[in-house]
Amino acid sequence: MNTWDSLLLGLSFALQPHVLVYCILGVLLGSFVGVLPGIGAMAAISLLLPLTFYMSPEAALIMLAGVYYGAQYGGAVASILLRLPGTPQSAVTTLDGYPMTQQGRGGIALFTAMVSSFSGSLIGIVVLVMLAGWLSGLATRFGAADYAMMMIFGLVAASTIGASRPAKGFAMITLGVLLGCIGTDVNSGAQRFTFGHAELLDGLNLVALAMGLFGVAEVIANIRNPERQSIAARIPLRSLLPTRDDLRRLPLPILRGGTLGSFFGALPGTGSTLSAFLAYATERRLARQPERFGKGAVEGVAGPEAGNNAASITAFTPTLTLGIPGDPIMALMLGALIIHGVQPGPMMLEARPEMFWGLVASFGIGNLLLILINLPLIGIWIAMLRIPFNYLYPAIIVFLCLGVYSVRGLAFDIVLVAGIGLAGYLMTLAKLSPALLLLGFVLGPLIETNLRRALLIARGDPMVFLERPISAGFVLASMVLLLVPLWKIWRRKRAAADF
Amino acid sequence: MQRDWPEVWGGLILAMIGIGAAFYAWQNYDLGTLRQMGPGFFPVAMGVALCGFGLIIALPGLWRRSEGVPFDIASLLLILAAVLVFGLALPRLGLVGTAFATVLIATLPAERRGWVWRGVLALAITLVTVLVFHVGLRMTLPLWPRL
Repeated sequence: MNTWDSLLLGLSFALQPHVLVYCILGVLLGSFVGVLPGIGAMAAISLLLPLTFYMSPEAALIMLAGVYYGAQYGGAVASILLRLPGTPQSAVTTLDGYPMTQQGRGGIALFTAMVSSFSGSLIGIVVLVMLAGWLSGLATRFGAADYAMMMIFGLVAASTIGASRPAKGFAMITLGVLLGCIGTDVNSGAQRFTFGHAELLDGLNLVALAMGLFGVAEVIANIRNPERQSIAARIPLRSLLPTRDDLRRLPLPILRGGTLGSFFGALPGTGSTLSAFLAYATERRLARQPERFGKGAVEGVAGPEAGNNAASITAFTPTLTLGIPGDPIMALMLGALIIHGVQPGPMMLEARPEMFWGLVASFGIGNLLLILINLPLIGIWIAMLRIPFNYLYPAIIVFLCLGVYSVRGLAFDIVLVAGIGLAGYLMTLAKLSPALLLLGFVLGPLIETNLRRALLIARGDPMVFLERPISAGFVLASMVLLLVPLWKIWRRKRAAADF
Repeated sequence: MQRDWPEVWGGLILAMIGIGAAFYAWQNYDLGTLRQMGPGFFPVAMGVALCGFGLIIALPGLWRRSEGVPFDIASLLLILAAVLVFGLALPRLGLVGTAFATVLIATLPAERRGWVWRGVLALAITLVTVLVFHVGLRMTLPLWPRL
């Protein structure tokens, strides 16, 4: 089957009325939570996860994906109008988006963000389609050692790239891996860390973990957030229209941002936040007048928005073709698919083509819907920004409790959510990343299984990880990433000693 | 200005969890060999690693100065109480009673005072909950309290 036939198959799947409804529902919900600061795509997806058990796995994936990329569109709104990033991915957009609002050009900034997000996503879709076939072909040659090292590389990349304190990232990932050990050991049948609780035999409930870390902890941290402010600004539709000069500046930053984002989105461990930062840095470096940046340059909105949206699309590549989630949100998606009984991996393109190509088609449909809906609806999203958090968070608490309960019908899981919520709030105080913990939790058991299998096949010889070229490549790349922060510390010490 | 206590305590707690998990796994599960790892091998290795990372986080915090962090203990305790009450009440109070009670507790730390809006909000959220989970998704849960 060639790519066009596959895309047509995907389109015919994604255009079925009930699938289309879930896609629309997903992107609208995503825009909604993206607009609201304090609730991210992570919390929204964990909240919706239990509801998807009532759907087919394909529809569930399409809806959850819609929430993810829809949130990127919505996140830009709060960033531009309030200087409050609705999602971490849109934090960079505040740098030039908010100054544009102060200059009365907020409408143009919103238009730029929407158009760039849409174009970036299109670039991402093209790259995803090109990469997927090649990667799943490559993946059939992956052995246990290669899988293990690739996942370890992903974890190393997630905790070192762009982090100020890599030790914190590593600590969260190891804690996540340890939590992933809870339950019955697949190889030996031993019950690890269950302490006599039958509820823990299948491991810690992923939904309870995600809800505690991203629902409860975020609600607690945001109840008395002093940064919350109300906006009075009205954005008439006419003010969205950019000037000819603005339009002329857009295409190249979008192209560069989208390409950068596509690349970093597909790498495990990096992702859309990093892509947005890199796109911004690139635009500033390439600009003829770099001093315009930070004072309302449209390129500073266009590049990052194209970058983070492209990355949020290509992030699905390793998740679906290798079964390895590149970022925490993808880890949650993978968890959702596994709960649905679908094991993503190299065989998925062959075994469930309608799922993969349906998702690809839904990306196109969803992004088209987002730009068609969001520009006219911008007034509604701005009105959403005025909903006081007081009215929202009690509903979030009730929904997340019921959501957790609906997974297995165990009150034990709700008590667990309270405990995890406490831990999650303490982690935000110590500036420890709960997202990395979740990534470690999902990848941990996969790494352990593959490590044990690889060593069993190699008769306990650890050199196996260096003898296979793919595995050796990931070992080398991980070493480089580990040495960079050490080198930075050494250089800083040297610089200090020179004084 | 004070010592960076969140870092120190955060790191120490992580280190203790790590060493505790490693010790427990070492005592209770078979370590095996590198060729045939037992169920204890991976947890022991990860526990020791976590202990190391925890110490790396904690020790520099002793010499670093930092502003205190806002620690919102009232919100923390009341929200956790709301979640716990939900878990404990659901089998007894039914969906309606549980949702109503949970919202009342959860709104306690809100900045807005007064009971009228709390009651109205609790009713509204309870209604939405029943519509979504009972009518929409047909979850099999008792609606009303068992007397």
